[in-house]
Amino acid sequence: MNWSPFFAAQWAWLFFLLVPLIIFYFLKLKRPRLEIPSLALWRSVLNDQRVNSPFQRFKRNLLLLMQILLLVCLIVAAMQPFMPSGADRAKYLPILIDTSASMAALDENGQSRLDATRLEVRKLIDNLLPEQRLCLVAVSSTARKLTDFTDNQRVLRDALDQIQVSQVASRLEDALRMTQAMARTVSIETVVLYTDGNVPPQIDFELPFQLNYQKLAPAGKNIGITALNARRNDARWDVFVRVEGTKPVAGADNPPISANVRVLYNGKEAGNELVSLEPGQSQRIVFPVEAAGAGTLEVQLKPDGFDALASDNVGWLDLPAGRPLAVFCPVELESYRHALRGLKDVLLYPSDDGGSRAASYDLVITDRKTDADLEAATFVFVGVVPDDLAKLVRVDSSAAQVIDWQRSAPLLQHVLLTDLAIAERPVSSEGIRDRDYEEVGYEILAQGRSGPLVLRKETGNRTDYYFLFHTDRSTLPYRVGFPILVSNAVQVAMQQAGLSEVRGQQTGVLPPRALKPDMVYKIKAPDGAVSEVRSSVDGVLSGVAAPVIGRYTISDGSSAVASVGVSLLTVTETSLATVDQLQFKELSVGASGTLLKTDRPLWPWFAGFGFVLLLAEWWYFQKRPGGLPAR
Amino acid sequence: MELIPSTAQFTTLLDNETLARLERMRLAPRRRLTNRSRGEHHASKGGTSTEFADYRDYVPGDDVRYVDWNIFARLERPYVKLYRHEEEMHVVSIVDASSSMQYDGKFERARQLAAAFGLMGLMNVERVSSFVCNHAGKEPLFLAPCTGRVSRRRLFEFLEKIEGGGDFPIDQAVEAVLRRHRGRGIAVILSDFLTFGDLERPLNMLFSAGLEVFAVQILAPSELNPEVTGDIRLVDSENGHTIDVSSANDLLGIYQEHRAALEEELGILCRQRSGRFLSISSRDPLDWVLFDLLRRKGWVR
Repeated sequence: MNWSPFFAAQWAWLFFLLVPLIIFYFLKLKRPRLEIPSLALWRSVLNDQRVNSPFQRFKRNLLLLMQILLLVCLIVAAMQPFMPSGADRAKYLPILIDTSASMAALDENGQSRLDATRLEVRKLIDNLLPEQRLCLVAVSSTARKLTDFTDNQRVLRDALDQIQVSQVASRLEDALRMTQAMARTVSIETVVLYTDGNVPPQIDFELPFQLNYQKLAPAGKNIGITALNARRNDARWDVFVRVEGTKPVAGADNPPISANVRVLYNGKEAGNELVSLEPGQSQRIVFPVEAAGAGTLEVQLKPDGFDALASDNVGWLDLPAGRPLAVFCPVELESYRHALRGLKDVLLYPSDDGGSRAASYDLVITDRKTDADLEAATFVFVGVVPDDLAKLVRVDSSAAQVIDWQRSAPLLQHVLLTDLAIAERPVSSEGIRDRDYEEVGYEILAQGRSGPLVLRKETGNRTDYYFLFHTDRSTLPYRVGFPILVSNAVQVAMQQAGLSEVRGQQTGVLPPRALKPDMVYKIKAPDGAVSEVRSSVDGVLSGVAAPVIGRYTISDGSSAVASVGVSLLTVTETSLATVDQLQFKELSVGASGTLLKTDRPLWPWFAGFGFVLLLAEWWYFQKRPGGLPAR
Repeated sequence: MELIPSTAQFTTLLDNETLARLERMRLAPRRRLTNRSRGEHHASKGGTSTEFADYRDYVPGDDVRYVDWNIFARLERPYVKLYRHEEEMHVVSIVDASSSMQYDGKFERARQLAAAFGLMGLMNVERVSSFVCNHAGKEPLFLAPCTGRVSRRRLFEFLEKIEGGGDFPIDQAVEAVLRRHRGRGIAVILSDFLTFGDLERPLNMLFSAGLEVFAVQILAPSELNPEVTGDIRLVDSENGHTIDVSSANDLLGIYQEHRAALEEELGILCRQRSGRFLSISSRDPLDWVLFDLLRRKGWVR
């Protein structure tokens, strides 16, 4: 720690300039001449002892004194003094600014958390010390570096002014990793985080630097929509809306919060209900909506009284048209076809005679690798080892048993695999572990003694399930759980096709959408921003950023292809709950109780005082001696 | 300060109205400073003028021509009438014409006062002379003693023609005047008395010479209340000497103290020698000085 109150103390040698200043002053001093009748009185005045007192001598050379003071001011300003705050000074200081949705929350004075942050960060920028470099990073669900490390206050202020709230939930890991990456090129000792405290308390990151957690004052009370989904119920949809409010404040009056919830289907009101919540409580409201075809559902929340956050007061649902599920299952898999025939709203392909195929399916259950080329969103392969796992696993004819399985996996829910007899045994190659399957994108759903038995792989909007053993060579078709397994596969396919349940899309990234392959699509955001994204060769449009709520329009250049409504729907953001302690892997960081102290540069004051002295000296020098009139 | 235009005026120094009023005024010295030759100046001792003063008892040896026979006829006792003694007094004006008097009408005011005092002397049949001191080492300009109303023109022409400028200190000027002057009476010194020399010696010499000092210090407003500020170099108008003054405005208080002390010292020096001292501004109205200030101070009657 450097306790010197000067940043550029090496400029102290300029004090030697005082010597020539004093010499030149006495050499060059030229007083204005004034002729008077007689010097008799003035000589006696100057002979007066009082005139020659030390103070009078001091005043006699007032001009010199002012010049010395001016020079001293300029030299001290050049030495760049500062008022030490007592805090450590960091040369490179990254400033992480939370821009998540909750930062738009207003307090009782109408000031948003982001505006409060701007004021604090602006102080840091204004008091930027000569050797200090700041880097502004906006943190939302991702991190975005707004500036490099710079001491250019104009650049920093511009970047600060351009920060906007992203209507997404907070996630600090990306920003901290970005800062960690910066630390490879510059020495970073401290990182400052400005947030309202509405962040996940558990952070999966090992801190290599000190984190100064600056928590802002809390916002006012809030109420908003935190969940929105709909389930098909025959020809209608049951719409579920969850409304939550802020947590109660300890020691304060916490009156109930009320709001009016209004549901619009294709622009027409389909429901209206008043909710009243005790602080910290939530309420789920169900609206039945008659909707046979596809349509758009909008839910509006109108709070009574003050509401801190506006972005969680609206939500959208895109309801698809109802239709039967198209399932492809070869006639050789009679056990599956038998189970499928008993399910409602399922169209089974091919027909029993092997004809009537469809162009696309929702679910493919097959034991042939070649059927992987069929157009479908959900595949269940039976007795098939995918090509990319050929080196990892092989199947021999020994018996196998299920050791463990994921009981919560959608495909295996309520399916009991205990004591299942399997006549084929998938065996992992030597040295192959579970992690190796994960690295190539597979998740093990059921594990045998010598290798995985059931795998799942998700590619874009397609989900593949692999039974590495053929179920016909096991007792599974004879188990009670087999029809449940098939029903689960159908449910997964219906979920994938959006036929049974629709969930409101959250901000962040638009859901993958199957469109034409390798084609550029224009996406128009609710705020008017237009971006272009190319679909993959598989025809999947994915990775489209959706940082603001509203409806996004996807067009192929000439006409709109799809429209997607995106809502906030985050409990943490709506509740405006704050955490005082951030728990990292090995340590925890508490919120700082005081605002960040910074060393305050003083050179502008010295320069300003020097300028005033210069003006005073100029006036003093130019002032005409008053006086005696001409003869 | 402008003098009076000469057209229709007797002199450019004083207007006719002022002259008329001055002719009725007389100087009032404190001491008996008269010549033995008779003049019109009333001495305090009994004399032979026509102006009655008092009676006293007759004693043998008195001139019986002064016995008041009317009183003797009524009281049958002889009383002698006493008359005022009228002697001639010498009024000499010493005008400081050095360069220091050339500011702000000081010299003009000195000439006017010299003319006024001279006129009062002439109208009272005193001997009037005048000295004008310019340059040190040179003889002062001299107006030879003159008397009577007829000498007015001569006095005024002398004062009108003199020019200022020079470096004659007033202390040396007085000594130079006394080397030439003869006669007792009143010495009117018209100067700013801003000299580096000692004034005690010339005042003693004046006193010894039988001259009552009427000292009039004439200062310019810029000397009474100088407005100097900052760091300046002051130059003496007479000898060109300089002194450097810093923060002159801060010294004005001390300046005023020293000026007041100079006035006090001059006053004491004059009073100790039965003289009189007066300090005026060159901007003070002349009528106020002549007919109000001098009367109130008892310089004139």
